[in-house]
Amino acid sequence: MSDSEFDVVVIGGGSTGTAVARDCAMRGLRTLLLERDDIASATVGTCAGMISSGLKYRNEPDIMELCSEEVVHFNHIARHIMMKIPILAPLLDLSDAASDSGYIDAYSEHAEEREVPAMMFLTPEATLEIEPMVHPDVIASVYYEEFFIDPFRLSLLQALDAINHGAKVHTYCEVIGFEKTGGEIQGVVFYNRITGTTETVRTKLVVNATGPWAHKLARMNDSKLDLRLNKGTHVILDRRVVNVGITARALDGRWVYLFPHENTTLLGTTALDTWEDPDRLVASFDEIEYLLQSIEAVIPSIRESRIIRTMAGIRPLVPDWKVSEDKVTRGYQIVDHENGMISFTGGKLVMCRHMAQDVTDLVCKKLGVKAICKTHEKPLPGNEDDVDVESLSVEYGISLHTLERMRARRGTDIVKILELTKEHPEWKTTICTCEPVIEAEIRYAIREEFPQTLNDLRRRLRLGTGPCQGTSCTYKAAAILSEELDLEGDDFLVDILDFKAERWKGIRPSMRGEQLAQEELAQGIYTCVGNLDQSDVDYDLKPWEEGA
Amino acid sequence: MNEDEAFEYVKGTLRSERITPYHPYEIEVVRSIEKCINCGLCINHCPVVAAVGIDRFSGPRSIAVELSRSPPEYWSTADIVYLCTGCGTCREVCPKNVDIPEVVNLIRARIFKHRPDLVPKGFYVVQEPLTEYNLAFQPWEDKEEKSESRDMRLEKLGLPYVQDRVLDKAEILFYPGCQAEERAQEVREAAKVILDYFDVDYTLLDEMSCCGLPARLMGDDQTARSLADRLKKKVKKMGIKKVVTTCAGCTSNLSDLSYYFDWGVPTVHILEFLAEDIGLQRFGEDMANSSRLSPVHVTVHDPCHLIRHTSRQIMDYALEILREIPNVRVTESEAYDSCCGGGGLVSYHSRDVADAVVKENIEAIQKTGAERLVTPCPLCTAQIENNLFKSGSSVEVDDLTVFIAQRLPKKG
Repeated sequence: MSDSEFDVVVIGGGSTGTAVARDCAMRGLRTLLLERDDIASATVGTCAGMISSGLKYRNEPDIMELCSEEVVHFNHIARHIMMKIPILAPLLDLSDAASDSGYIDAYSEHAEEREVPAMMFLTPEATLEIEPMVHPDVIASVYYEEFFIDPFRLSLLQALDAINHGAKVHTYCEVIGFEKTGGEIQGVVFYNRITGTTETVRTKLVVNATGPWAHKLARMNDSKLDLRLNKGTHVILDRRVVNVGITARALDGRWVYLFPHENTTLLGTTALDTWEDPDRLVASFDEIEYLLQSIEAVIPSIRESRIIRTMAGIRPLVPDWKVSEDKVTRGYQIVDHENGMISFTGGKLVMCRHMAQDVTDLVCKKLGVKAICKTHEKPLPGNEDDVDVESLSVEYGISLHTLERMRARRGTDIVKILELTKEHPEWKTTICTCEPVIEAEIRYAIREEFPQTLNDLRRRLRLGTGPCQGTSCTYKAAAILSEELDLEGDDFLVDILDFKAERWKGIRPSMRGEQLAQEELAQGIYTCVGNLDQSDVDYDLKPWEEGA
Repeated sequence: MNEDEAFEYVKGTLRSERITPYHPYEIEVVRSIEKCINCGLCINHCPVVAAVGIDRFSGPRSIAVELSRSPPEYWSTADIVYLCTGCGTCREVCPKNVDIPEVVNLIRARIFKHRPDLVPKGFYVVQEPLTEYNLAFQPWEDKEEKSESRDMRLEKLGLPYVQDRVLDKAEILFYPGCQAEERAQEVREAAKVILDYFDVDYTLLDEMSCCGLPARLMGDDQTARSLADRLKKKVKKMGIKKVVTTCAGCTSNLSDLSYYFDWGVPTVHILEFLAEDIGLQRFGEDMANSSRLSPVHVTVHDPCHLIRHTSRQIMDYALEILREIPNVRVTESEAYDSCCGGGGLVSYHSRDVADAVVKENIEAIQKTGAERLVTPCPLCTAQIENNLFKSGSSVEVDDLTVFIAQRLPKKG
């Protein structure tokens, strides 16, 4: 394939963009994915990973049906990166139950195809046995089950699968313009942030999957796109503190939740109409307090748990105005600008594959290509078979838990990493002690999954996402990255500063309680031992850093 | 589905997702573990890490920040958590008081429930007698043989035999624990000699049953609870004021049980009983009259279950008691408070690890030049004695209770 001629250029490497690239490539289109930063580095990277049954959207039955179908598809193509979470909605007064029974029927309508039970009521005794942290005055609870996926791995696997099918994927390439003839897009101009060069490729069509930047990209193409941008914030706890997921009515009557996710717990989410720059977004004090107070009503001791950080992202909602956020459709729209660009608005993580299917159908139609979608049939890399980590642990002499965490990221591809340790037994060394991540997986990810920075490694490996937030792994991982990518000493330091800044962005707004002790230790290590505060490298403070 | 059926269904999902909900009393343990700041201080003090290296046992820090974070994955920690001897050194040195030994029990309990196939097979040697006879060891088949063994031991140690006393009502329950009941019978007998000497109003149980600690350590919570309940009922019914034991493990476990489950009856080690109830002055005065044994040079080992799980005060008492006994010279070992490797049931499945841990003690004991080691725990006694013997050392080991009983003057 030529490196400068494509049928379609997909812009945006989130869950949707990577799904589109995968679908296009699988249908034989010459496909290029351009991402300004890294895969899953914005909206999808700040979501809870819920492959929602759509029960919040019971007024949109077709959306619930779609969500349910997609859950079935994901269980088929990506079960190795999924978990089922049992969920309780504790009720503290009868009006809770009476005012809102519609969702029970709506949820239960499609439960069978997802192989989960219809919603059920539990007694207070049963509720407290399942979750003793629930308020003792609980009068009943509603029980249901949902599926969760690792949103980083999903996006990355879609990108890798697109590459497997012949697509090109370029991260750190920011689109800065379009070449047009007669108002029609002929080419895409982008700035390569790694090489520092400007490049141009020719293409027949452009799919704009840039989420909260979609209107700006459309404007660059002289097209108008309306979006309703909506900020969502999560508070992240250091471990699974609840036995099951908990959902509750927030102070303002919306639903909020406390979901076990991987080896943490997520408390979310807020929903605020926003006009902020997505690149400068941080959680606010009000959002954190809103979440804590809301969940406190059903889990009174929540503040005793350890908050390690926050994360904030922007939902690119369909532009329904004059209604509250939760009345806005969670469906998506495909907007054909009729000039070579097709844009998305709206959508949910659970729909990303379906959105890709729809837009690829349109792309194929426009290009006169006859090819059918297979993205729901073919498994994503690693989901080909079950993995017996117990025998792998014996075979390769690596601890079971290390392998189980690795399996949850990689499925059958785990063996490719383990093979590396045959030649390099020293790569069995644990680098990130919280997750854990061993050196072999870092080396493998650097070689096969095109990361450029420590933050990219974090998204691929959960590096530095545990209770200590990179206190003890950053230097070690940076040394490996520098060796593999042949980075200069200054680049090495800047990358450490970038990584710490990205952690700080999430830590700073919620820092309290036990995390203060952790941060003090981290500061001690990085300033007293690492002398990082004295480094004279050329580094610009991020907008959320003190002194910026 | 009615509510009961619904609950049954939910239990099924929890089982298949390998979730055993935290009990309210476990939440306190989880809260403590949340305080870990990954500083790694514990790794430098963990005797198992020191003995076998971090690649074999990833250490207390990894239990706090890695292995304990996601209950559905607890099964995958089975190659590590059974190597913890539960000595509590990590908790003692931790600047945040993270309760590692308890979180290890909490994890083991979940592996026992969800993946019994990953529980070390060696544990079943303990589990069988626990469920069948309420004892941690297979009881003697022939009671006469048991008495003969006891008499041989008494004769060798020069201890008199004091008749067993089982009373309906008494001030004190003397609880020897399984090891002294079935194996190290001399410890049980020695305690009786001491209690008898000081005219203590005590009784034994009509039928000895385990305090449940071994069941807890292997993760069999159900057996642990039923054993604890059984004992609690008896203790309550007898109306005793205090439990006196000669076992370090029983002391700490019964103290915990008493605290968490409202027994209202304290448990003390016999050393505490001597120091606090009999009084060091009276003990010393009586001992001054004793001329029973020739001068002896000893060193002392501190059992983890006393110093770290109960109180270091108990071993201060031990030294004070030794000072009151004539002709006893004490030299401190450099590793006096280092785990002997006998804890956490590690020796039941990974003998090599347990023996690697005790090595430091063996070397330090020999360096003291003492001819005898004394320690107030039958488990430590057995573990150290075996390994001193294997290393060809001439140092002999005595349970401290036996050592004291041997030196008491003749009653009369």
